[in-house]
Amino acid sequence: MSTEANAWEESGPASSWISRCAGTMSFLLTCWKVNLAAAMEYRMSFFLMAGMMFINNFMWLFFWSLFFGRFQVVNGWELNDVMMLWAVTAGGFGWSNMLFGNFTRIAPIVSSGQLDVYLSQPKPVLLHVLASRMSLTAVGDFVFGLVVYALAGNHSLTGLLLFLLGLLISGTLFIGVITLAGCLAFFIGNADGLAQQMFNSFVALSSYPSDIFKGMAKTLLFTLIPAGMISYIPIGLLRGIEYDFAWKAAAATLVFGMAAMLAFKLGLKRYASGNAITLRG
Amino acid sequence: MIALQTQALRKVFTVKRKDAGLAGSFRSLLKPRWEEKVAVRSIDLTVQRGEMVAFLGPNGAGKSTTIKMLTGILHPSSGEARVLGCTPWREREKLAFRIGAVFGQKSQLWYHLPPIDTFDLISRIYELKRSDYHARRDDLIERFELGPYLHTPVRKLSLGERMRCEIAVSFLHRPQLLFLDEPTIGLDVVVKQRIRELIRELNREEGTTVFLTSHDAGDMEELCARAVVIHHGGILLDAPVDRLKREVLNRKLISLTLAAGSDASMLPPLSGTEVIASDSRRLKLAVDLAVTEIETVLSAVIGALRLEDVTVEDPPMEEIITHIYGTGG
Repeated sequence: MSTEANAWEESGPASSWISRCAGTMSFLLTCWKVNLAAAMEYRMSFFLMAGMMFINNFMWLFFWSLFFGRFQVVNGWELNDVMMLWAVTAGGFGWSNMLFGNFTRIAPIVSSGQLDVYLSQPKPVLLHVLASRMSLTAVGDFVFGLVVYALAGNHSLTGLLLFLLGLLISGTLFIGVITLAGCLAFFIGNADGLAQQMFNSFVALSSYPSDIFKGMAKTLLFTLIPAGMISYIPIGLLRGIEYDFAWKAAAATLVFGMAAMLAFKLGLKRYASGNAITLRG
Repeated sequence: MIALQTQALRKVFTVKRKDAGLAGSFRSLLKPRWEEKVAVRSIDLTVQRGEMVAFLGPNGAGKSTTIKMLTGILHPSSGEARVLGCTPWREREKLAFRIGAVFGQKSQLWYHLPPIDTFDLISRIYELKRSDYHARRDDLIERFELGPYLHTPVRKLSLGERMRCEIAVSFLHRPQLLFLDEPTIGLDVVVKQRIRELIRELNREEGTTVFLTSHDAGDMEELCARAVVIHHGGILLDAPVDRLKREVLNRKLISLTLAAGSDASMLPPLSGTEVIASDSRRLKLAVDLAVTEIETVLSAVIGALRLEDVTVEDPPMEEIITHIYGTGG
């Protein structure tokens, strides 16, 4: 191969990592701005979808309140803990779906060859894909999480910081686990159904008190399907910090996040593109 | 200076083979059969800086797969490639700052938003300085005449308007090399012509290297000085467009729709012209440009017949390939 091509002058943006990070942040902010603008294009749909999800979540809390009306404590859980569980789960799911709304759609994006445009542009592909969609219903989830915190949460500074940490762990775990499941599409082809099932199971399991599960099921919930790391937050983080749980939850978040990034990176080598007509937004 | 160079570039896909019908699906479920599909057999190619190269071939020839390997979208099965000094699949991000890509069937415009919002996002993706971005954007808006629909949601634009926006956006960061994959697919003649003019203009003024895939011979004739024809994943012909025009594109097809009451038998025999299809309302002629001129044939046709519609087109790419095979490349 000729080395003449190397004579091309270096161009493009500054190459220091600080300026690259600043460039990526600026890109992310614009991406979120554009997503929000696209979501608000259909005003009625925007308010209806966000509002319906908000009401839907409150229906669940209503059923739980009926349950706790008869049984005051279940395996150490009280109504307030369940409310905070929903605040953390819905809130974490909400922010992750608002800012990185494509994490639930990695499998169909990969299997239908929709990564081409992202791959042709100079930004980290996974980040770019994730940040290119905002879920409307997630706005309702996020607002619901905040409202329930306002109703049932600890409003001291420590309480607020722990709630925010809970939201961070919950949302990041959702992104990591569901993205990892979606990456199966690189390796087994059409993994849409499997990823969808994984998504449904993970969301459902993370919204029930972790202490109602025993034995193998409980072990699974704190290892392979780490929904327990979310559903135990009201007890292990918000009621009082259990350091053993806190560092394990942080480690699980890190491990699943890294695993998702690695699977995506390896998967890109197997990416086969496609001829489907694709549009963004 | 070399813009891109490939050596024995090859891409093989593994595809599942299934017999037709439900029984075939069951057999495939229990005992799947896999086979290798060679999309690109071996491509050796060098393109110089500032060149406009047409990369032609019929559907399934391997054009898009090659362009996807050269932009870092696909990893090749074997072989090497250097694009602006980078190995595309290993230095994708670095290379992407310096190239542009337009895929006729994959839009980079935000579907529900006006093009102006995509311009803004693209400027952030390529990390353009604000002052440079605004000046460049305004220049492209003027050149591509995007003003009237810059604030209209993309979903409300015609295909031609959308493609104009796609190509304008791809020039925003002043790419040194622009890959255009079927940029004129599905467009009408007038829009195709305008888009070709704009690409030619930017190549002349900014020295942008253009690597264009198409199965429309018109793109090659009007834009490029060099054509590379590929078929079954390998290069069939790499020649100046002038030579190709002289030796291969020496035929035009004229499709006529006759007006009511007009009779095809009234057309006299014309030298270098052959009737290749006809029915009561339609007539298709093949004209050998080495023997006669298209204007001569059209004058004779208009003198003899009353017409509703006339279309003059190049022979389809499949016919050009057959001809190249016939003449031994």
